[in-house]
Amino acid sequence: MSESVLAYAAIALFGVFVSGISQVLLKKSALRTHEGPLGEYLNPLVVFAYVLFVVSTLLSTLAYKVIPLSMGPVLDATGYIYVTAFGVLIFHERLNRRKVLALALVICGILIYSTGV
Amino acid sequence: MSAASGTRGKTLLALHLLLAVFSLSGIMSKLAAQFPFMSAEFVLCYGGMIVVLGVYAIGWQQVIKRIPLTTAYANRAVTVIWGIVWGALLFDETVSWQKVLGAVVVLAGVVLFAMAGDDPEPAPDDVEARGGDRS
Repeated sequence: MSESVLAYAAIALFGVFVSGISQVLLKKSALRTHEGPLGEYLNPLVVFAYVLFVVSTLLSTLAYKVIPLSMGPVLDATGYIYVTAFGVLIFHERLNRRKVLALALVICGILIYSTGV
Repeated sequence: MSAASGTRGKTLLALHLLLAVFSLSGIMSKLAAQFPFMSAEFVLCYGGMIVVLGVYAIGWQQVIKRIPLTTAYANRAVTVIWGIVWGALLFDETVSWQKVLGAVVVLAGVVLFAMAGDDPEPAPDDVEARGGDRS
């Protein structure tokens, strides 16, 4: 894998991370009570979450300038790592061994994939 | 019971059609990347991607009303396969064995993650073994 692919893969990974933050904000908003149905969609948390969502799509498009299309969904799977980390750190969800094993598989898969680019 | 599994089959089929549509968002994004930022072509491709993601979001909401979220998430792993297929067909990307093996391992990881669950709910097998029916 060339250095430029590595650099743009890092941009894609950062995009997935930003998307993860966006999801946390949406979940935080969903857990709160809002005034009326409009308040569910037009509150600062949700608006900021959608801004981050757009940023994440722009980052992935930027990454596609260099990385192959097939690499996108493979790197997207790192989203499960952030979902798990945020779930444990912010929402105090429990971590089980199968999830850790699953995330280890995702990382192994990405490494194997990367040797073939 | 067969009627229920028939509905489930149809929902799974619909989910996979939806995931195929979702995979088009990657194509749009990859296309947009080839044009100058904010050029007419870029806006068209990027806008197309946002539309596809919108359709996907609506479809996803409908799907998860009908089948368990874990099943939906597990099936979503198929997008890594779509990436390889579209990359090879549309963008002349090579399909190396490392790419395929890596994608399959990622797919296995995502399926396992989806099936891992958050709470100590009994597995479907356990419910069936006790003759229970949760539907």
